[in-house]
Amino acid sequence: MSRDARRFLRMSYLVASVGGVLFFAMSVALLGIWPGRVLEDETRSMSPAHPLGLTVSEQRGRIIYGREGCAYCHTQQVRYLHADMARFGAPTLAWETRFDYPHLWGTRRIGPDLAREGGTHSEDWHFAHLFAPRNLVPDSVMPAYATLFDGSPDRPRQGARDLVSYLDTLGRARELAGPEGEAHARAACNCPNDEMAQMAFHAAALNVNPARTRRQGTSPKLPAAGDLVRGQQLYAHNCASCHGVRGEADGPGTAGLHPRPANLAGHEYTVDRLGYVLWNGVAGTAMQAWRDLPAEDLASLAQVVRGFHVAQQEPTLPANIVDLGAHVYTVNCAQCHGEHGAGDGSAVAELSMTPADFRGARPSVAESLRALRNGVEGTPMAPWTGRLSEAELSAVAYYVRGFFQGAQ
Amino acid sequence: MNESANPVAAPAVETRLVYAHGLAAILTLLISVTFGILASLELLVPDLAGNSAWLSWGRLRYDHTQGIMLGWLGNAFFAFLYHAVPLLTGRPVTSVRLGQWLFGLWNFAVVVPGWVLVLAGFSQPLEWAEFPLVIDAFVVLALVLAIIQFLPPFFWRGLEDLYVSSWYIIGALVFTLLAYPMGNFVPELVPGARGAAFSGLWIHDAVGLFVTPLALAIIYFVIPAATRRPIFSHFLSMLGFWLLFFLYPLNGTHHYVFSVIPMNAQIGAITASALLGVDVIIVVANLLLSLRGSGVFPRDVALRFVSMSTIFYLVVSIQGSVQAQMAVNQAIHFSDWVIGHSHLAMLGFATFAAGGGLAHVWQRIPWARYNATALEWSYWLLFAGVILMVTDLTIVGLVEARLWQSAAPWLESVRAARPYWLVRTGSAIPIAAGFIALLAGLTTGPRGAGLQSVEETIGLKPVLEIAPRLAATVSEAS
Repeated sequence: MSRDARRFLRMSYLVASVGGVLFFAMSVALLGIWPGRVLEDETRSMSPAHPLGLTVSEQRGRIIYGREGCAYCHTQQVRYLHADMARFGAPTLAWETRFDYPHLWGTRRIGPDLAREGGTHSEDWHFAHLFAPRNLVPDSVMPAYATLFDGSPDRPRQGARDLVSYLDTLGRARELAGPEGEAHARAACNCPNDEMAQMAFHAAALNVNPARTRRQGTSPKLPAAGDLVRGQQLYAHNCASCHGVRGEADGPGTAGLHPRPANLAGHEYTVDRLGYVLWNGVAGTAMQAWRDLPAEDLASLAQVVRGFHVAQQEPTLPANIVDLGAHVYTVNCAQCHGEHGAGDGSAVAELSMTPADFRGARPSVAESLRALRNGVEGTPMAPWTGRLSEAELSAVAYYVRGFFQGAQ
Repeated sequence: MNESANPVAAPAVETRLVYAHGLAAILTLLISVTFGILASLELLVPDLAGNSAWLSWGRLRYDHTQGIMLGWLGNAFFAFLYHAVPLLTGRPVTSVRLGQWLFGLWNFAVVVPGWVLVLAGFSQPLEWAEFPLVIDAFVVLALVLAIIQFLPPFFWRGLEDLYVSSWYIIGALVFTLLAYPMGNFVPELVPGARGAAFSGLWIHDAVGLFVTPLALAIIYFVIPAATRRPIFSHFLSMLGFWLLFFLYPLNGTHHYVFSVIPMNAQIGAITASALLGVDVIIVVANLLLSLRGSGVFPRDVALRFVSMSTIFYLVVSIQGSVQAQMAVNQAIHFSDWVIGHSHLAMLGFATFAAGGGLAHVWQRIPWARYNATALEWSYWLLFAGVILMVTDLTIVGLVEARLWQSAAPWLESVRAARPYWLVRTGSAIPIAAGFIALLAGLTTGPRGAGLQSVEETIGLKPVLEIAPRLAATVSEAS
């Protein structure tokens, strides 16, 4: 090889080496630094002025979430896609992730996305679920994190408390920003013609997760009859773990839930009431909503649930007992349960959850007495044994059954 | 190896370092595979780990991939480099002592403590970067030592007539060192979506700048050495090399399509992903043309491993180009399809290259045991296992994607996946057996049987033949 050729070669290798480093630098600039600057600007302009960060406990929970690899089954990133939005809510905005050191976006979904998990499930549900996932969600493949507990879901160690408090923060900042926050972000985005960017701002889509409970909401009118076989299959897959195979609230999931799941066999339900509960869940309890199921499936489930109840011979009560029950009810119960037993008393707004609606669900006398005597743990319903006599308890237990509007 | 006909004295290969890294590679491989099998079993029997936090799914998952990348592939690549660098440059590596330090550091300051720390609950939740920060520091140190160990021989020699494997080796070592902090350090300092952009870079660079170039260096090295024919086209080699180093790093953001990361970056990455498929076609065409006449299943088992690796490389890359496209990505992203894809890359392409590379260098260690029958078994078991696993995961990915698009409750997708997950765990049987056979192939059998098998299959020739023009250059220089 001639000397000139060698010199040329040496130069070309030098040029190539510099070029190689430049390739790499370019990738960092184009896919790291430049997007980073855009995202930083977006964060600055679209974020509320003082988004809520994490408390110390929530930060510790985040570390546990990271160390256990939660992000490797549960993403924290709702994509700008209708399929994602239908399940998990509004797409994740940059500012929502501003405190995530490091990010926990994930690239695999074995379980559902958790970007908007906060407020979707109750604390007791999370504890029971972390302790023994399959007690609540049969066929789940999530590992049990019993090591975060002291032997039972009722006795969470600090780690479990931290983790659950962290889970409850997911999506919180955006939710707290409220409609004003959304409007601010939308204005800052200034992207009226960018169809994809606009997807993030559908007000109704923010927390559209079909499992998320709603304290107030509408529900579809269910057909009166459903497919019993389909209903039984759905019940076995989704309900029996808590409500029990015969609806007697004795499933494995009852451990650790406060309040305990409803005793379905001990109540007579209207189809409308079941439709409402299935569609909206029971806010403040572990009963999640099932808006991902079509109305026919819900009707099938309602039919299964109604079938658990065994009709009782209604005794004819003497007028004085009825009067006593009415009196006790008006004085002690109506503020919460409402004058007509619809769970709409004057105190409802102050309560952590909606009181029982006797028009849509008629408890058996035994159920009713049990609630009166013991209260309902985990709800504002207190025990009444000290305050009411046995005769009064009995009378009101019968009385509330009279509100039911579904009797044949 | 020291044939008197050879005008050049064979450069000293530190066979003990080759052997040490090779053995460490297979042992860490078996451990990493155990992590993977346990993790896959826990998807079928979620309470398998009982109350043991150490064996919970997330931690096993971390250790599985980190062990494969750093333990198995890292060690296998080092073993190959100790063999290839002296042969490519005609000069020994920098220092045997340094090699001992590198070996100790890599295995006893990175892989083993990394595993233990992850199991004990010290890790970082970043893909391909799960070992905790303290371990990352040792990885960076080890990468610096590797550069000091392996690159000077290339430069002492002068860069004329550098064979393509040399380019890949230099590129891989330099750019891995540059890319490693992107995924391991930056997301700890830069939050959320911004950090994810850097994570995306590293997720792809780990495969594109570390695994792929070194696997290709092996393939480009073994093919001419084992076929005793020069590579088809040095021009295509270099074209493929430069396109690879241009395009691979630009792919990163395709891990976050439809995210809040600026759409222009996403589209750029998706375009680069498509172009990367074109580059791989160039590379693979060159390799397959170099292999012509050897058949799909060459007699030399090392060559057979790398030739199948080449085919896996083509398939996985075309698949990658397709799945980065928005229409496909929106459906299959987050599903088992991608797990299938990554196994086709790491278990198909990279592992077959590394396994072929190990078999090749083992054949040329005169005192090493070598069991050709076991290697035959290894090849066929792994081949069957990979095909079964990847096919299965690809199908279940489509099943999951379909259910996610529907209104079915989330758990339906988990229920639907379980029979496929059972098959996936089943595929671990041939795969694990194949790896045990690989271990047997390199630790049992008569000493020196490797050289004998080379003689039987392709005939014994000095190894300098791999870069045909190299011998001339070296002799000219000496």
